Amino acid sequence: MKLLPCLALSVLAASHIFADENRQLDAHEHGVGQLDIAFEGQRIAMELHAPGADIVGFEYVAESAEDRAAVDAAVATLARPLDLFVLADAAGCSVVQASAELESEAGHGDHHEDHGDEHEEGKHDQGDHVAHESDGDHTEFHAEYLLNCADPSAVAVITFAYFDVFPNALEVEVQVISDTGATSFEVERDAPVLDLRGMF
Amino acid sequence: MILRLASGSLFARALTVGMTVLAVSLSVALFLGVEKVRTGAKASFADTISGTDLIIGARSGSVQLLLYSVFRIGNATNNLTWESYQDIAARPEVDWIVPISLGDSHRQFRVMGTTPAFFDRYRYRSGQPLAMRDGATMSDLFDTVIGADVAATLGYDVGAPIVVAHGLASFSEHEDQPFRVSGILEKTGTPVDRTVIISLEAIEAIHVDWQSGAQIPGQSTPVDVIRQMKLEPQAITAALIGVKSRLQVFGLQRSINEYPQEPLLAILPGVALQELWQIVGIAETALIGVSAMVVVTALIGMMATIFSSLNERRREMAIFRAMGARPRVILGLLVLEAVLMAAIGAALGLALLYIGLLIGQPFVDRAFGLWLPIQAPTLREVWVVLGVVAAGAVVSIAPALRAYRMSLADGMMVRI
Repeated sequence: MKLLPCLALSVLAASHIFADENRQLDAHEHGVGQLDIAFEGQRIAMELHAPGADIVGFEYVAESAEDRAAVDAAVATLARPLDLFVLADAAGCSVVQASAELESEAGHGDHHEDHGDEHEEGKHDQGDHVAHESDGDHTEFHAEYLLNCADPSAVAVITFAYFDVFPNALEVEVQVISDTGATSFEVERDAPVLDLRGMF
Repeated sequence: MILRLASGSLFARALTVGMTVLAVSLSVALFLGVEKVRTGAKASFADTISGTDLIIGARSGSVQLLLYSVFRIGNATNNLTWESYQDIAARPEVDWIVPISLGDSHRQFRVMGTTPAFFDRYRYRSGQPLAMRDGATMSDLFDTVIGADVAATLGYDVGAPIVVAHGLASFSEHEDQPFRVSGILEKTGTPVDRTVIISLEAIEAIHVDWQSGAQIPGQSTPVDVIRQMKLEPQAITAALIGVKSRLQVFGLQRSINEYPQEPLLAILPGVALQELWQIVGIAETALIGVSAMVVVTALIGMMATIFSSLNERRREMAIFRAMGARPRVILGLLVLEAVLMAAIGAALGLALLYIGLLIGQPFVDRAFGLWLPIQAPTLREVWVVLGVVAAGAVVSIAPALRAYRMSLADGMMVRI
């Protein structure tokens, strides 16, 4: 089975730091990214959310020159969608718009621990699997793409070079919406191919 | 020639052969029936909602939200405040939004409060809109539109009075505000058939004198006064949303899921359905497994009867040999007999299935709201039938080989 990544639940963190009325955090699972794909006419919109741990291997605020360079390089890589998600040439797709950024989960940058090393160890003790309360020091990469394709129906299969580029990524949960409705897929490192036949 | 021999031999042993064929046919009918129910259930679930991009409700699970908002199975954990609803309705991405308010009932049927837009926007079976069989949509505050099953079960016609009960299984009824049936919907094969639809304002109207789930004693606001009141709901159960551009669906979904003022959940119906299949999938596989085992058992039973028939047919085989039949012919004869039995069994199974469907279809539809279509066998079913025939040939090889060897060794005389 796949390595169970450390799961940080969206707990209503009972931390005194939050004095606000609204306390909520997104689910955050290391190793698992989310990709949403919407087809409409000749346009394809894609949105990727991936944990910092998957993309650069750490989630603390990059302070050293080395870490900053890693984040910059990752953002630059994420801004080239066709290198990450390879579409068939027959579809004739070109990027209209692409943006990528690093966003902190709740913006509590001053209260962070080094989770990065802990998550990267291949073998965890049982105790490490405990869903630990997050103080919001998880970071996420977020990228949005808009593609224009001459023949979107030729996009039958998408190959995820994403897994080759980011060795810490294990899985991407994909949601697709097209004329035929919405559906979801899981693309894993072992079989990095998304089969969209039947969606057109 | 050999075919005539085989069929003649089968006829000669009509009783045992008949029982074997019956076992095979029942197992085939069961297997295909399970398959039909499985695909029928899946299709009828998938056909229930179409054209809706997002469903929103209180934050719970996506499957739960789908089940209570669309299929009226289970209950909402929380309501969705009217303020949040209006906030979301005002967003630029939203093309249309239809609120749904559940919680009351009429007899065994659920009452749903909504806006007239529901009749335009709700789509089922790949984009089919709702149609009126009789009457019109609500024009008065105390008008109601009922689904086809409600009308059929309770024998209502347009104009019939209806009293809505508070809650789902309660004896307290909203007696002071009776409704009138203004329209009856065409049968859809969806939960809409079993729903009493009233306007959102009417839901508020019947709860005017109610507090904390009970009627305030002695208080009964006259209907005329209620009509004058501003009947704006405090909360609704869920809402269906259509977006202007499909490209914005995910952005809207994410922003609703991260809505800071209230914990909300937005789901894509198709994705939630798929999650539901993943849960149901295990039980499905188990069902298929069990019914496949029944087919295997029937085929092994056939093998056993062929084996036991070998002894009594020793003399017959020996006569064939004496008449010049090669041992290969003996082998072929037995395999052919088995194939014939399996084929008749499978064909009979198919016939049983369709007879069962013809008889059971209205009942299953009434009892479970599950429409099992009667169609020509699918390719998959044809393969199953062919597979059973092939498996019949395979299991007969063991007894046929035994007969082949015996026919080489045996003489005309049967030693007792």
